Amino acid sequence: MIWRLEAAVDAPADVIGGKAAGLVTLMRLGLPVPDGFVVSVDACRAFLRDGNMPAGLEGARAGLPTEAVSVRSGAAVSMPGMMATLLDVRGSVAPAVREIFGSWNTDRARTYRTLHGIPHDLGTAVVVQAMVYGDRDEHSGSGVAFSRDPTTGAPEPYGDVLFGHRGDDVVSGRSATLPLTALADQEPTVWSALTDALSLLEKHFREACHVEFTVESGRLWLLQVRPGGLTARAAVRVAVDLADDGLIDRREAVRRITSQCLRAAAVPRMLGGERLARGRGASPGVATGRVALSADRAVRMASDGPVILVRPETSPSDLHGFAAATGIVTNRGGLASHAAVVARSMGRPAVVGAADLRPAEGTLITIDGTSGEVAPGNPGLTPAVADPHLHRLLSWADDISGDRSPRPGEQRLTAARAQLQRQANND
Amino acid sequence: MTEVLHVLRCMGFAELSRVADAAGVDEAEVESALIDLAVDGWVTREMGAWGLTAAGRAEDLRRTAAEVEAAGAKGVVESAYERFLVLNPELLDLCSAWQLRAVEGVAVPNDHRDIAYDERVLELFGDLDGRVNIVLDELAKALPRFGRYQVRLRGALDRARGGALEELADSLTSYHVVWFQLHEDLLVTLGQSRT
Repeated sequence: MIWRLEAAVDAPADVIGGKAAGLVTLMRLGLPVPDGFVVSVDACRAFLRDGNMPAGLEGARAGLPTEAVSVRSGAAVSMPGMMATLLDVRGSVAPAVREIFGSWNTDRARTYRTLHGIPHDLGTAVVVQAMVYGDRDEHSGSGVAFSRDPTTGAPEPYGDVLFGHRGDDVVSGRSATLPLTALADQEPTVWSALTDALSLLEKHFREACHVEFTVESGRLWLLQVRPGGLTARAAVRVAVDLADDGLIDRREAVRRITSQCLRAAAVPRMLGGERLARGRGASPGVATGRVALSADRAVRMASDGPVILVRPETSPSDLHGFAAATGIVTNRGGLASHAAVVARSMGRPAVVGAADLRPAEGTLITIDGTSGEVAPGNPGLTPAVADPHLHRLLSWADDISGDRSPRPGEQRLTAARAQLQRQANND
Repeated sequence: MTEVLHVLRCMGFAELSRVADAAGVDEAEVESALIDLAVDGWVTREMGAWGLTAAGRAEDLRRTAAEVEAAGAKGVVESAYERFLVLNPELLDLCSAWQLRAVEGVAVPNDHRDIAYDERVLELFGDLDGRVNIVLDELAKALPRFGRYQVRLRGALDRARGGALEELADSLTSYHVVWFQLHEDLLVTLGQSRT
């Protein structure tokens, strides 16, 4: 079944997929989304069952304002990077939709679903939209924007932008991105439209959100929205700040923080301040040392003190350098890369995909394998006990449980959450 | 002798016992070969581990190119590498899932107390092993040395099945490390080098 994307669509994510449901929400809020339609999850299930393609595809496509379209998967459950995306498709759209349906059953996608307990017969929706070009001219670009800093929870927009490129270049990490705030200088109108959109979305979801966006000739387009995506420490701060802002009440703030999240938030983190780069935290822990740019240098330098090995990506020839180093940084690669797997196996803190980090050998740096941050020098650690937001959240938890006796944070949270659960059961 | 130089090229720095295991040759024979290679200036021994010199890497590149040329194997290796690249992200997903689990949306170290979960991951490793073996079968027909990876991968999997949990992703003889060396070998055999 095919649904034109518009504010009036009234269908849940398990019918039209998570991506389309997010796009409909954006449209309802009056935010700019390229024209498009969604092929429902049902159609995918029918295709997987008997090979029949849905009727009406080419007609729906002809109703779009451009000949070129983007064709993206969008299941009800997020399966990042598992399925195909086809950009700048012209002519018949059926082969692209068929390819995305087919990508539901690649071996890797099946393995991912088995690991995460997602049923194999769920299927994916397919979103077809008029193509917008982040590489059209100097007033074009693509990026990702968070309504709040996903690492610290600080209440200001955070993200990356890449001028003159399409979204796939941002995700691949092939090109060096700029901090989102570069938009404020280069495209002030777009910046203000984007920040307005983020605060509107926060009010709607009552949660921090992030969007994928494209700017085409000075005009902003939103391509995806998702709530959440925060580190544990950030989740605590955002829950407290949203309660202060009146978007949620204190009980909801306590309800949102699980004991697992509290435990993760208790891991010591690097103190705030200047940052050289940010990648993704692939192996937790904080490490400080002098930069070595090759495995051999890491082995030699390690006799004089702790070393952070910084490599573009890794090969087996780097493994003895991993063993000698106290921390690892790569410029390319994701959370499932050879470097990430080896760093975890050796218990070394690691940051991967820090594309912009180009330090001189011997420089003293500190890396945080939880947040993915890289800082100059040694900024020191901030233990969770010093986090004022955590203190406030736990005092709210005590208000709920009525127990103010001194005990570990996890017990205070668990008692409050149990009380909330009892109240919910009685309602 | 070519064998030992190339095996070590794909390993990085390694102790004698690991080189012997990777080559599938006894230690005395490998040590003798390594000493000869050291005399030629192609390998070096530092802090107990053997590794290639820059000249050794150049020599290995030359020899490997000649080997592929003589066997007329370029097309076979290219096609095998393409198929390997489809399997590689799945292997990395599996290793990550073995090391970390999402609990209430937070990634935490797998404490291996959930036996059903571990069995599920182990079974998926077995399934992937079956598929990489098909690729390696064809490679080994053209270049028999690739058959050694089948033995080593299977060995790591069997040890893990026998209860050695570190043999999937967390030791220097693990399934992941052997796979990583296979990845490197394919790149070197194609004359491509990671920058």
